[in-house]
Amino acid sequence: MVTKRADHKWGMVVDLDRCTGCQACVVACQAENNIPINVKSFYQQRRAYQWIRIERYWEGEFPNVKAKFIPILCQHCENAPCEPVCPVFATYHNDEGANVQIYNRCIGTRYCSVNCPYTVRMFNFWEPSWPKSLRNQLNPDVTVRTRGIMEKCSFCVQRLRRGEVNVERRGLEPLTGERIPAGERTMNYRQMKEGNYLPACVQSCPTNALQFADQHDDSGPVKEYFEEANEQIETRHQGGHVDESHTRVYRLFEEIGTKPNVVYLKKVEPFPLEKA
Amino acid sequence: MWVFPDVTVMSREVTEKTKSSPKPFTIALVAAGILFILGIVGFIARAVGDGFGEIGPWGYYIAVFSMVFMVTGAAPLVSVAFRFTKSHWRRPLSRVSELFAIVGILNLLMFIPLMFLLPSIGNPEAAVGGELAVRRTIWLEGPIGAPHAWDLVGVIGVVVTSMFILWLSALPDMAECRHTATGFRRWLYSKLSGNWYGTKRQWNAQKAGLALLGAFYFMTLIFVQFLISSDYAQSLIPGWKDSIFPVIYTITSLQMGFGSILVTLFIIRRWGGYEGYIGKSTFWSGSKVLLGITLLWVYHLFAFFITFWYGRLEIEQNVLKYLVTDTYAIVFLFNLAFSFALPFAVLIWNPVRRSAWGPALAGALVIIGGIMFNIRIFVGAANAAPGSNLYHGIMEHVPAPVYPDIWDVLMVIGGIGAGVFVFLLATRLLPILAIWEVKEGALYQKWGKLLRGEYLILGKPE
Amino acid sequence: MQEGKPLNSRQVNRELLVSILNSPKWFFGALAVLGFIVLVAMSTAGFMINQGFGVTGLNRPVMWGFFITNFVFWIGISHAGVMLSAILRLSKAEWRRPATRAAEILTVFSLMTAMTMPLIHTGRPWRTVYWIYTLPFVPYDYARGIWPNIRTPLVWDPSAVYTYLTSSILFVLIALIPDFAVLRDRTTGISHRIYGMLAMGWQGNARQWKLQIIAGVLLSALILPVFVSVHSIVSWDFGMAVSVKSWHSTIFAPYFVVGAVHSGVSAVALVLIILRYIYGWQNYIRHEHIDALARLLIVVATGWFYFFVMEVIFGFYGREADEIAVRDLQFTVSPWNIWMMIFVGLTYFAPVAIWLSRSARRNLWIMSLACIIVNIGMWLERFLIIVPGLARKQLLTFDWYTYRPSSVEWIIIIGTFALVSMLMLTIARVAPLIPLYDIKEAEILRTEIKIGRVTVPATFRED
Repeated sequence: MVTKRADHKWGMVVDLDRCTGCQACVVACQAENNIPINVKSFYQQRRAYQWIRIERYWEGEFPNVKAKFIPILCQHCENAPCEPVCPVFATYHNDEGANVQIYNRCIGTRYCSVNCPYTVRMFNFWEPSWPKSLRNQLNPDVTVRTRGIMEKCSFCVQRLRRGEVNVERRGLEPLTGERIPAGERTMNYRQMKEGNYLPACVQSCPTNALQFADQHDDSGPVKEYFEEANEQIETRHQGGHVDESHTRVYRLFEEIGTKPNVVYLKKVEPFPLEKA
Repeated sequence: MWVFPDVTVMSREVTEKTKSSPKPFTIALVAAGILFILGIVGFIARAVGDGFGEIGPWGYYIAVFSMVFMVTGAAPLVSVAFRFTKSHWRRPLSRVSELFAIVGILNLLMFIPLMFLLPSIGNPEAAVGGELAVRRTIWLEGPIGAPHAWDLVGVIGVVVTSMFILWLSALPDMAECRHTATGFRRWLYSKLSGNWYGTKRQWNAQKAGLALLGAFYFMTLIFVQFLISSDYAQSLIPGWKDSIFPVIYTITSLQMGFGSILVTLFIIRRWGGYEGYIGKSTFWSGSKVLLGITLLWVYHLFAFFITFWYGRLEIEQNVLKYLVTDTYAIVFLFNLAFSFALPFAVLIWNPVRRSAWGPALAGALVIIGGIMFNIRIFVGAANAAPGSNLYHGIMEHVPAPVYPDIWDVLMVIGGIGAGVFVFLLATRLLPILAIWEVKEGALYQKWGKLLRGEYLILGKPE
Repeated sequence: MQEGKPLNSRQVNRELLVSILNSPKWFFGALAVLGFIVLVAMSTAGFMINQGFGVTGLNRPVMWGFFITNFVFWIGISHAGVMLSAILRLSKAEWRRPATRAAEILTVFSLMTAMTMPLIHTGRPWRTVYWIYTLPFVPYDYARGIWPNIRTPLVWDPSAVYTYLTSSILFVLIALIPDFAVLRDRTTGISHRIYGMLAMGWQGNARQWKLQIIAGVLLSALILPVFVSVHSIVSWDFGMAVSVKSWHSTIFAPYFVVGAVHSGVSAVALVLIILRYIYGWQNYIRHEHIDALARLLIVVATGWFYFFVMEVIFGFYGREADEIAVRDLQFTVSPWNIWMMIFVGLTYFAPVAIWLSRSARRNLWIMSLACIIVNIGMWLERFLIIVPGLARKQLLTFDWYTYRPSSVEWIIIIGTFALVSMLMLTIARVAPLIPLYDIKEAEILRTEIKIGRVTVPATFRED
């Protein structure tokens, strides 16, 4: 029996105006996805495993310095450069618009990481291990990877799948448990929020800087931003100019043409630094 | 396969042939002259009609210039290269290849309008959101005189160096004929070869000079071809960042040059009465070289194509759509057919390579292929990004193809006619065979008996 | 071009088979030392597979380092074989004769060594073995209907390299048939039987010689497209990458191929000089051969330099900030710019300056030095293409880093050199590294012409 899957297209919006750089998303992701603990030596070796990382840039000269934060995670590109180069098809684009990694196929050639412009793909340089006391903390829904495997943000696919199973297949409302009629079983944003089917980083962000929903979902927070981002591409195609000072919407490294499924909103600068 | 020219009569025979004007030759000369005049008519019509302000209407003219430049630049290189490798079969073709240097004078004349046509490097409308302040060129920010002055110096350098090589190589022949020649030729030979007496020291100096000049010419030609192909083609199509294009341009020019030489050799062997001097070995080895260059051509084309196509980046896909798959697709297909598929099909057969007509046919095919290449690239480049679009980083619209009108057609056939015309005149000036080189070769060849068969013995000095 | 004195068949047989029939005293000692180094390298590789890649200097973003450099380097060395034996045979250059066998064998061994590099550099080599190396026997997850991804250059790589390896081995074995027959007739016991099998019933009659020549010519012609495609495909590992801007250059394919011919032919010249010294083959590997190799190398090096300049110029051409960032690292930041200067000097200016001088070409010590520095330079070239591109990938400067190789990587790299040397030494004991029949053929075809008062060396030409 094959159930018809609803057509989702997941998208994330990162609002840089709200991001405080608190790293709650980083910690939540690490807890949810069985990511090994980063000890100091990992950072010094530049091998820290962080599926979502906060990059911090300094602007200006002391004493007029400002820190700028940008969370960078897998952009789940439509035209992902990492996908055509994996020799064993360990990474591919699923029909929900996300780029997924199949851990047991990966042989660790690392070409996907080389070809990723955002360098969001992590390689297991060491055999991951947790102290005995922390082993109960591991998430049973997520594979524990061994050394030599590539891994990256999956939009917490395990949560999305759980949501799809509960809401779309079984037809149960998350909070109340009542049956959803057969024709209306597409999971919407409200149901995701109530049932905790959003990715861990989105769930844990204290300022709601990270928003996640189906790009076609009218009730979701991301639709308008993706529409605007797609309009920008159309405008450029027609040969027009996009006035960047009048919109906050942009995508990372758009000019490379990877077509990311993550949209960033520029930080609004109330006290801009004087340009020297 | 091998010919053993009779050196005692060679000089006399060749100089007689140089002086005589048989009927077919005169007809060819007149026909080429008419085409040349038609080309000038086309040029004047275009100049009057469109002026020199915009580069768009002149695409076909630039293609013709490039075609002539390719052939006249690469042909002398053939004689230089095979003299360097001490290939014995090169001897009949050295003068033929060097005579193209005289046709190179056309380059100088044809280049002058090109200097006016090139759009400026700096964006006249300053930096308007998204547009580059300076369009992408190899000159980066555009130093003084770039690119016109440098390109002109380059073209002059190529032509002058090739003429030097021709002079140096023809020196012994002119010296030999200066007493028996009459009229203009006598004056010319005496002026150009007055001091040559064929002493050992002079021969050694000539050899060293040819080697040095040859190396210098090789480097200059490759460099100038890099300049011309970058300035008049690559820089004019936004988003086309391609490191292999100068190499493809050079290889196409080598292909066309070598093809022209093979065609000329075939003609003079078949109808010029030079059968006793040009053996099949020249065609046998030359066809291998042409096959090799053809394969190299398609290999480089494929390297360009796959690197651009693989990443599915819009900026590169647009360039591919323009030059290969959409706009100029038909011209590209002809290009591929005539520069690779057909010559390859002709040249892989041993019996065909061993004949004289086979390599000549392949040579004619690659010349047509080269014309297609130049049309595709230069007409494409001239019409890629009209106006201020040139200063964008990407070609957002893929323009429609530009079809030739009557003046373009006249200019193309006029260019070909001009080349043929000047070459034919040049053959009146200097003997088409390098007499001293063929004589030298005859000294090193002999028939000899080995075991039970008779074979060629080839002397290998040093 | 024929400076040595004429040789007769018996002398040729005796002198060239000296490596096989009487093994020199130092032979087993040298083999033991090299074998020991190889064992150390193999254990280090085992240690690395057991512990994980943390023991190397690789990090994020520099995910490819010494191993991939070494892989490309050895594939490069392997291009000497076809250049010298196939191309020079087809162009009938007489001076190729002593060089062809050593070049072809070096090709086979450097290809084998090169393929060990991708094997150990994958994160899960036990899986890679399953997938690539036992391909005919144990398909990888094909039960789910998912075949290897033919869209990736990493699959084109083994296809091309294995095709090249197979055709090179065929080429070597077929070229060796007459020489195996000579050995068959001079050995007894088990060696006799093995050589007999390899010689495949060679009697040396006219029909067999004709077939041998045709096979040689056909194989030479057919192996040429493979030869060009192999290093092009290896270069496309880098050329197809869209994120590392300095790699995404259309010229990589011919650039790498010419660079491979450059380093490969230099390596063969070095091998020939070493062989001449250790086996006393002064009559066979003469100064004229090294001289001709040097002159070929001038042309190849200049071609290489042209491609290198094109690559750099068009790197700057786009004026894209991410590419400029990489070029900045390569040309202005120490120690990368120092390595860059050393590399250009060692690969082009120093050796070509040496090779332009006739007396330097004829001096074997200077020539060995020139060939060694070319290979050091070419190794550096691959390193300077791969690592700076990754160290400055795109403009997320937060992720920029550098690369410091660990001792594990050094040991494994040195191990590959020891492996190739050890294999070459072993083969010298088993098959003659200079083709006997080629030399004998040269002697038969050798003659002289008198022109006036001068006697000029000459050869017979069969077509």
